[in-house]
Amino acid sequence: MREIAGLKAVEEAVGRATEMARPVLYTPGWGGDIQRPTTIASLNILSHIAEKTAQYDCRLVFPTHDPVIMAVAQEVVRESYARAGQGDRFSEDDICYVSSSQFGYAAAVEGMITRLKPASIFLLGTFEAESLILAEVGNTVGAIQIAGTDSTIQLAFFIVACDYTLIGEEVFAASGYLSQDASILASVRAQDVLKILIAIFLVGAILWATIDPTSGWWRF
Amino acid sequence: MRLQGRHWAFLGLIAVVTVTMLLGIRPAVVPSADTERMYGYLDSLPAGTVLMVSFDHEASSLPEIAPLAQAFLRHAMSRGLRLIGVSLLAEGTGIGYRLMSQTADEYGLKYGTDYVHLGFKPQYIAAILSMGESLSKTYPEDYSGNEYGALPLLSGISNYDDVAGVVSIADGSLTTHWIEYAGARYGVRVSAFVTAAMVTTYDPYLASGQMYAMVGGLRGAAEYEGLIEIGGSGTRAMLAQTAAHVYVILLIIIGNVIYFRLRSKRREA
Amino acid sequence: MRRRFPQIVCGLFGFTLFAVYFSGHPIAGAINETVLRGYWQIIFAFALLVGVVSFARFNLGAIARGSDRPYRIASLVGLFSMPFLALVWGIKGDSPFIWVFDYVQVPMQSTVFALLAFFVASASLRGFRARSVPATVLLVSALLTLISRSDLGDVLFAEFSDVAEWVRDAPSMAARRAILIGIGLGSLTTSLRVLLGLERTWLGSDS
Repeated sequence: MREIAGLKAVEEAVGRATEMARPVLYTPGWGGDIQRPTTIASLNILSHIAEKTAQYDCRLVFPTHDPVIMAVAQEVVRESYARAGQGDRFSEDDICYVSSSQFGYAAAVEGMITRLKPASIFLLGTFEAESLILAEVGNTVGAIQIAGTDSTIQLAFFIVACDYTLIGEEVFAASGYLSQDASILASVRAQDVLKILIAIFLVGAILWATIDPTSGWWRF
Repeated sequence: MRLQGRHWAFLGLIAVVTVTMLLGIRPAVVPSADTERMYGYLDSLPAGTVLMVSFDHEASSLPEIAPLAQAFLRHAMSRGLRLIGVSLLAEGTGIGYRLMSQTADEYGLKYGTDYVHLGFKPQYIAAILSMGESLSKTYPEDYSGNEYGALPLLSGISNYDDVAGVVSIADGSLTTHWIEYAGARYGVRVSAFVTAAMVTTYDPYLASGQMYAMVGGLRGAAEYEGLIEIGGSGTRAMLAQTAAHVYVILLIIIGNVIYFRLRSKRREA
Repeated sequence: MRRRFPQIVCGLFGFTLFAVYFSGHPIAGAINETVLRGYWQIIFAFALLVGVVSFARFNLGAIARGSDRPYRIASLVGLFSMPFLALVWGIKGDSPFIWVFDYVQVPMQSTVFALLAFFVASASLRGFRARSVPATVLLVSALLTLISRSDLGDVLFAEFSDVAEWVRDAPSMAARRAILIGIGLGSLTTSLRVLLGLERTWLGSDS
C-alpha cells in the first residue's frame, strides 16, 4: 500500500504523548453508530493504537456518544492491552459514554480535551458539525491531531484544523495498513479493482452520452 | 488572562454580529434556482395533497432550522396541503409539534384533519423502512396518544404510496437515509430543508435527481420568505450573516498577510 | 463458541435482511416487520439502558474519587431530573419538562453550536494560508464561496455568482462524488467482511 502520512504519524503521536506524560484522546465522532462501517473501521484503528498505548504505558481516553460503541470499544481496548501483555493497565473508566446528544457530546469531549490536555488526539469516524469544535479545541491545547472521516463536509474542517487527515476510504484502508492483515489488504485491493471498473464505466457512459445524447442504457 | 490572536477574532465577530443585528436592516434577497424549484414544487401540489414532513434535527440548530421550517409550513398550510409530521430524532419531536401547531393556528387549521404529528421513532433506518410497509403499524398512536385510526387525515394512508412525498427538515445526514431507503427502495420523492453546513453534502443527490429539491441555510429561509411574501427571522438575520462572511474574508486576508510577512522575515534572517 | 455464535447470528440476519430489502414477497414483509419494528427497537431500548447505567457508574465513581466533582454532579442531576419531571408532570404543553427543555437545553445546545462560528473565525485566521499550491487552491475556493454567499460578489463583477456556482457544481462536486464512491466501496467491503466473519473487531478481538 502507498504511504499514508496520517498513519505513519500514529507511532509518533503515541510516542509524543508518552514523553509529555499526557494522555491520548481517541473519539469516533457523533455521526455514526456501531452498524456504520466507518465506526467499525475506526474501532480497528483503535485496536492498534490501544496496543501501542499499552506498550508505552500511556493513558488512552475514549469518549463516545453511543453506549454500544462504548461496550465494544471497552472489549477492543481490553483485548489490545492483553495482547500487549499489559492487561493490568487497562482502565474501563477511560472508555466512557458521555451523551447521545450531538452538542452534549461535543461539549463533553471539548471539556475533556481542555482539562486533560492530551498530547495526541485521534478524530477517526463519522463526524458532523462538532468536528471543527473538537479540532480547534485540540489546537488550543497544542495536541497533534490525526483525523479521518467519511463526511466530505467535515473533511474540509479537518484538513484546515488538523495535522494529518485521512480522506474517505483511507480510514477503511487504515487497519490493513497498520496490521498488514492479508484479508484486509485483499479487500482494499478489491476496492481498487471496483474503482477502476467504475471509472471505465463512467468514461464509457460519458463518451456514449456525448456521441448519442438520446441513449439511456447507462441510466439507473 | 492575556488575550491571544484568536480571542481578538472572537471579540470582533461578536461586535460585527451584534451591531448588524441591532441595526435591524432587512436587505432584499434574490431567490436562488434551488429555492425557486422547491417553491414551484410545493406550489404545484393541489390542495388536499398529503405530504410527510420529518423533523430530523436537534435543538442546537433551532435558530437556523426554525426559519426554514416556518417558511415551509406557512407555504404548505396556506396552500391547503395536509401534513403528517414525524421525527427521527428525539429533540425534533416536540419542536416539530410546536412549530406545526403554531403555524396551523395562524391559518385556523384543525389537528387530525389538516395535520397530524405521529411523534418520534428511534432507530431511523428501521423507522423509514417500516413506514414503507405500514405507517399504522409503525405508529399505532400519534404524538398525543390518539389512535391511528381515529385521525381523519390518516384514513386511507397506509404507507409511502399514499403520500406525495417526504420533506426532511434536517441539520445532519438523516436526509441521506430518506434518500437511500425511502427514495431508492419505495420510490418516494424526497425534498429537504437543511442547514447551510449540509447543503454541499446533498448537492450530489440534488444534481443526480435522487433528491427533488432543497433549500439550505438561513439564506435559503430568507429567499423562501421572500417568495411566500411573509417576513421571518431568516430575512432579519441576512445583514448579520453577510457582515459575518465579510469579517471572515478579512480574517483570511489578515492571516495571509501575517504569514507572508513572517515568511519574508525568516528568509531575511 | 463465544465468538462463533455472534458471528453466525450476524451473518444470518445480515444476509436475510439484505435479501428481504429487495423482495416484495409477503414473507419478506413479515420478516421486515418483525425485525424492524420488534427486535431493532428492543435492542435500542436496552442499549440506552446500558448507556445510562454506564454513565451513572462512571460519574459516581468520579465523584467518589473527587475528580471534577461539580461537572459530575451536574451531569447526574441532569440525567435523573428530566425523566423525573417527565414521569410526574408529563411532557406536553406547559409542563416543567418542556420548560427545562426550552429554557435550559435549547439555549445550551444552541450556544455550543454557535461556538462553531467562533472556531470558523479562528480557523480562518490560522488555517487558510497560501503555504503551497494545494493550500492556495483551497484558499481561493473558500474566498470565492464566502464572497458569493455574501452578495458582495455581484457587486465586484456581474458573473461572480456564476463562477462560484461553477466551482460548487463542477470541480467541488466531482471531488465529493469521487470521495463518496470511495467511501461507498470501503463501506461495502467492510460490511461484507463483518457479515462473512472476517472482521471480528466488533466482537472485541482483532480481525
